[in-house]
Amino acid sequence: MKLAELQRGDKAVVTSVDSSGETGMRLIDMGLVAGAHLKFLRKAPLGDPIEIQIRGFLLALRKEEAARISVEVTGHMGDGVPMGKRERKGRMKGRRHEGKA
Amino acid sequence: MKEKLKHIKAALAGNPNSGKTSLFNGLVGAHMKVGNWAGVTVEKFEGYVRYKGYKITFTDLPGTYSLTAYSPEEVIARNYIIDEKPDVVVNVVDGTNLERNLYLTTQLMELEADMVMALNMYDEVKASGLEIDVKQLQVLFGCHIVPTNAVKKEGLNSLLDHIIRVYEKDIIVKKNKLSYDLQIEGAVDSISNVLREDAELAQKYPARWMAVKLLEADQLVYNQVTGRAVWLNTERVVKAAIAGNEDAPGAGLRARIASDRYAFVRGAVKETVKGPLGEKKSITDYIDAVLINRFLGLPVFLVIMWMLFQFTFKLGEAPMGWIESFFAWFGAVVKDSLPDNELRSVISDGIIAGVGGVVVFLPNILLLFLGLTFLEATGYMARAAFVVDKVFHRLGLHGKSFIPMVTGFGCSVPAFMACRTLKNRGDRLATMMVIPFMSCGAKLPVYILIIGAFIPEGMRGNALFGIYLFGILVAALSAKLFKSTIFKGESEPFVMELPVYRLPTAGSILVQMWIKAWMYLKKAGTVILAASVIIWFAGSYPKDTAGAEIFEGSALEAASLPEDERQEAVNRLENELAARQLEHSFAGRAGKAIEPVIKPLGFDWKLGVALIAGLAAKEVVVSTMGTIYALGDTGGDVSTLTERLKANPDYTLPMALSLLVFVLLYVPCIAATAVFHKEAGELKWTLFYIAYSLTTAWVFAFLVYRTVLVFSA
Ligand SMILES: Nc1nc2c(ncn2[C@@H]2O[C@H](COP(=O)(O)OP(=O)(O)OP(=O)(O)O)[C@@H](O)[C@H]2O)c(=O)[nH]1
Repeated sequence: MKLAELQRGDKAVVTSVDSSGETGMRLIDMGLVAGAHLKFLRKAPLGDPIEIQIRGFLLALRKEEAARISVEVTGHMGDGVPMGKRERKGRMKGRRHEGKA
Repeated sequence: MKEKLKHIKAALAGNPNSGKTSLFNGLVGAHMKVGNWAGVTVEKFEGYVRYKGYKITFTDLPGTYSLTAYSPEEVIARNYIIDEKPDVVVNVVDGTNLERNLYLTTQLMELEADMVMALNMYDEVKASGLEIDVKQLQVLFGCHIVPTNAVKKEGLNSLLDHIIRVYEKDIIVKKNKLSYDLQIEGAVDSISNVLREDAELAQKYPARWMAVKLLEADQLVYNQVTGRAVWLNTERVVKAAIAGNEDAPGAGLRARIASDRYAFVRGAVKETVKGPLGEKKSITDYIDAVLINRFLGLPVFLVIMWMLFQFTFKLGEAPMGWIESFFAWFGAVVKDSLPDNELRSVISDGIIAGVGGVVVFLPNILLLFLGLTFLEATGYMARAAFVVDKVFHRLGLHGKSFIPMVTGFGCSVPAFMACRTLKNRGDRLATMMVIPFMSCGAKLPVYILIIGAFIPEGMRGNALFGIYLFGILVAALSAKLFKSTIFKGESEPFVMELPVYRLPTAGSILVQMWIKAWMYLKKAGTVILAASVIIWFAGSYPKDTAGAEIFEGSALEAASLPEDERQEAVNRLENELAARQLEHSFAGRAGKAIEPVIKPLGFDWKLGVALIAGLAAKEVVVSTMGTIYALGDTGGDVSTLTERLKANPDYTLPMALSLLVFVLLYVPCIAATAVFHKEAGELKWTLFYIAYSLTTAWVFAFLVYRTVLVFSA
């Protein structure tokens, strides 16, 4: 599935990125590499670009650029599954407790 | 005895929005100077501080996310570190955004820079409940880390202490190596071993860094190595490595290398940061839910832009009036206190009038900059680009183009300079070439005069709005044309961080506004000074001696008139003389010379003179028309310029509309053109741009004139 096809609120993990050319370089520099977790936040009022959250910051990119990125949906915002829980279940739990304490 | 200061050279490197500028200002205070990096239009900030017997010079490197060779900023930052070899590199890191910020840090590590990390925004880190294990982070990155709050100036002395200790080798910066996957490590090892055979090269650049860069297909490093003897062996090893790796699972080498860097950073963050992760909504989330909402996003954008203009022009009106009266008064004082000669004329009619004409816009410019800087600093500008990007994308431009274009409504000079934010050369030149079609503030008096004289009462507002709209339309079409012909090819990708909203401090906004305003004054000021003198000269020479004699005679006659009529008669004569002089001058001759060219647009030579004079500054069109229309109309009792224009039977509605269009589109003033030239960097673009705007102006004015002529017949 392509990044641009995600729905508002979807959480996903990057599976592959076309890293050729300047655009590819930019995407990599902003942390869009295989294995990165992201949240699809919204489309711009005119439908393009889109806004995602990745590595703790907000990133806007055009659908054209987003088409270079393949993702796999891991969940949906608000459905209680924290981002990337599958991969780091054990460690995350402990940390979350400490954070709240 | 005065002890000699030891000199330390330090550089600030970091992501955009990491607080570099704030830190720089906090460290050096007023001791800073703004310049340009050689050969590129990227600003260079330098400054120094005296501290504990040391003089520490700071260079603020451009904010970048990475150190690839793609953007000029990145090349500047990394070349500075490699070539200038600063004693200490201060890596400014936004503590609230560690993962992305530390990615740059890994690349600084690879450059083997002597680094100190300023862990900035530490106040926000604490406020958000995050806990960073600074000690452990130091171990992982091999450098010392100083928590700072650049705005409150906390931690700055400690940072300075660390810089000195690194300089004095009291702290040894461990050059930790970032390790990649086994295949890549193998390739890096064999490439760097070959490279080390060239002692000179290895002295200059870290071999391991070069090896990684070669695998990343970094063009600049390729260029460094290809000319040398070691290239023979290097090429073989690099080729083998690439061939052996690109078919490995996953994407290209570049992506894998970046992936490993990110994996390292991610591991480091996991190990050292504790705190509430994940789902909690931030203030930024709430603000964005309104400001870039699917339905409200565009209306909010339009309202904010409208407010910006109200703010700029309404608030600017009063001070503009003061400046205008000041220059009028000053000109009069100079006139009264100097003997009547050429020097007086060049000072009062040339320099004071010309420079005054530019300085008058200073309030507008300051307010516009204030508004733009504020929007930029809060984080809204990036959102605005996000909201309007689709429109600009259709035209082949970038969402970021809209900031310079908005600025263009104030003045083209700062607008051209604002184009620096566009990295792609084609995008930048295309944007620069359409900026003058956005009606600048100086064109407004011209519109008002023409519209007031020829457009029926009820239609005037619409006409003014229409001309602005028409300019935007021509700009859009031109951009589309440029981007699909001469500037075809890849545009800058739209991959942009939307920074969190922050309330900027008044001090930082004022400083930045002042820096921009000062650049405007300096650039416009020097060129305008020269341009004013040239235009003055063209309008005053050669002298119309015959006219002056007639004037003397008539003045004598007027002297015999009764008191109340005399003053009026003298005034009229003086106007007439001025008009005759202008007709006789180079400017007048030029006007007559171009008459055949502008005849098809409905203009006569008088308008030609006014349009040429308008090259000094657009509002000069009005004052020149004022002077030149004194000629020949002395018989009637028409007094104001508007009435004189109306009374002239040659001037009709079609001509007026054609003139409006021409003034809108033709070459901007000399100052703007000079700045265009500086920013574009090549003469051919300046010439092309002049030719393009003149052609466009002529064609559209012609079409308008002929069309309206047909319909009004
Ligand atoms: N709370 C807090 N805010 C900070 C700190 N340092 C900087 N800021 C704010 O962060 C914003 C960005 O700071 P700048 O100094 O402009 O950042 P920069 O890295 O120079 O950004 P560019 O000019 O885009 O390269 C400003 O609004 C600052 O007021 C800090 O330590 N704490």
